[in-house]
Amino acid sequence: MLSYDFMQRSLWAAALVGAICSVIGVFVVLRGLAFVGAGTAHAAFAGVTLAYLVGLPPLPLAILFGLATVWVTGVMEEKGQMKLDVSIGILYTATMALAILFIGLMKGYNAEVYGYLFGSVLSVTPEELHTIWTLGFIVLCVMVVFSKELYFIAFDQEMAEASGVPARRIYYLLLSLIALTVVVSLKTVGAILVFAMILIPASTAYQLTHSLSRMTVYSVVIGIVCAVGGVMLSYAWNLPSGPAIVLLATTIFFLSVLLSPKRLRRALA
Amino acid sequence: MGTPIIRFSHATFGFPGVIALKDITLGIAEGEFVGIIGPNGSGKTTLCKAVLGLMRPLEGSLKIFDCSCEKLRCHHRARIGYLPQKGRLDQNFPITVLETVMMGRYGALGLFRRPAKQDREIALQALANVGMQDHRDTALGHLSSGQQQRVLIARALAQQPQVLLLDEPTTGIDITTQHSVLDLVRRLHRDLGLTVLLVTHDINMIRQQVDRLVLLKTRLFAAGAPEAVLKLDILQQVYGKDLVITEKDLIIVEDYHHR
Repeated sequence: MLSYDFMQRSLWAAALVGAICSVIGVFVVLRGLAFVGAGTAHAAFAGVTLAYLVGLPPLPLAILFGLATVWVTGVMEEKGQMKLDVSIGILYTATMALAILFIGLMKGYNAEVYGYLFGSVLSVTPEELHTIWTLGFIVLCVMVVFSKELYFIAFDQEMAEASGVPARRIYYLLLSLIALTVVVSLKTVGAILVFAMILIPASTAYQLTHSLSRMTVYSVVIGIVCAVGGVMLSYAWNLPSGPAIVLLATTIFFLSVLLSPKRLRRALA
Repeated sequence: MGTPIIRFSHATFGFPGVIALKDITLGIAEGEFVGIIGPNGSGKTTLCKAVLGLMRPLEGSLKIFDCSCEKLRCHHRARIGYLPQKGRLDQNFPITVLETVMMGRYGALGLFRRPAKQDREIALQALANVGMQDHRDTALGHLSSGQQQRVLIARALAQQPQVLLLDEPTTGIDITTQHSVLDLVRRLHRDLGLTVLLVTHDINMIRQQVDRLVLLKTRLFAAGAPEAVLKLDILQQVYGKDLVITEKDLIIVEDYHHR
C-alpha cells in the first residue's frame, strides 16, 4: 500500500497530526481544558464553512475562528464572569449554528466541506500536506521551547505566577496552540473527531505513568501509532479514516484503563 | 536584627468592592522568623499574595528587597519561595518528586533557558535539605501529606530564595507531622539564614518558634514579640468571645475549619 503517493501522503499527515495532538493533549488533560478542544474544533469548522461560502481559502478563516473562540473564553474566565465550561459551551453551539447556517446558504452540496467535518486523510493533497507540516512544525517547536512553563501552569498556575513565570501569557499561548492544533488536524480527522485525538493518547498515557516526562513520551508514541495504524486499517478494510483512527485509540485507551499500574496498585493496596 | 527587606507602608489591598487589608505599615527584617496570625478572612492569604506580587496595593506601597521599581512582577520576586495552602494539589497529577522540585528552578531560569545539570544539583540539594532525597523518583501523589509538604518546601528552596513564605503549612496534617514540618522550617531558618513568613491560624503551635507575631484582622492589630502580642485585651479585640485562655494555652474556638 505504500507504493501509492496518496497513501504516503496520508500516512505522513496522520503521523504529524497524531504527534502534535498528543503533545498538546498532555497539557489539555493536565490543565483540565478538555472541553476547549471540542469547542475550538467546531469554531474552526464554522471558519471553514464561511470560507467556502464566500470563496476564500479555508485555513486562515479556520485559524481566525479558532483563536477568537479560545481568547474570548480565556478572557471571560479570567474576568470571573463565567466558568470556562459555560462560555465554551455557548460558543461551541453558537459557532456550530453559524456553520450550519453557512452550509445552508451555499448553493448545492459541497463534499469538501464535509471532509473537514468528518476528516478525509486519504484525500490530502501535496499542498495541504505542506501546510500541515509547516503549521505543525511551528506548533511543536513552540511547545518544546515553552515546555517547562506549560508543565508548570498545568501543575499550579498560581504557584507558577508566584515563582516569576509569566503564567497568564503562557496560558493564552497554550489556548492559542490548542486552536492551531485543531486547525492543523481538521482535514485529517475532522472537526468532530479531532477532540478525541487530543484527549485519548494523553489520557491513555496518564493511566500508565507517574512522571510528567514519561507521560509526554508515551502520549506521543500512542498518538502516532493510533493515527498511522488507523490509516492502515482504513485502507486495508476500506473504512472511513477518521473513525478508524479514533476507534483504534479508544480501544487502546480502555486497555490502558484495565491494565493501568495506578489502578492495579490501588487494587493491591 | 538586619535591615527591612519587605516594607508595607500604609498599604491597602482588596478586590472590587472588598477591602481585604487596610492601611498596613509593617517592616520585615532580613533573617526574621515572623508568624502571621488572625481569624479566617482576616487577610492572611491576601498578605501572602501581596508579598508574592500577585496583588497590587490599592493605596500605599509595598517594597520588596532593595528594589525601587513599581513593577508588580519584578524579577526580585523569584527570591521568595512559596508554599501554598494545602488541598490545591491534585493527588493524581502525574509528577515525580524530582520533577516537582525542578519546577522551583523554572522561574529563576526565565523563558528560553532549559534546566541544566547545575539546576538538577540545586534541586537535589533542596531535597536533601528536607530529608527527601531517597524519594526523588517516587510519584508525588504516593507520599503522605507530611512528605508532600516537605517536597513542596524543597520546591520553594530550589528557587534559592531569601524569603520563605508558608501559607498554613501545618493545616490538615496530623499533630506529629505538624511538629516535624515546623522543626524543618525552624532548621531551614537557622541553617540557611532564611527570612521566614509563616501564616497560620494555629497560634499555640508557633508561639514558641517565632521571633515576632503579626496579628491581622483586615487591619494590623499588633506586631511584636509573642508575649507582647498574645495578651488577653489585644486578642479579645480580634477573636471576641471565641477566645478561651487556659493555664497553659490559649484556644481559639472558631478557627480550625480551614481545609
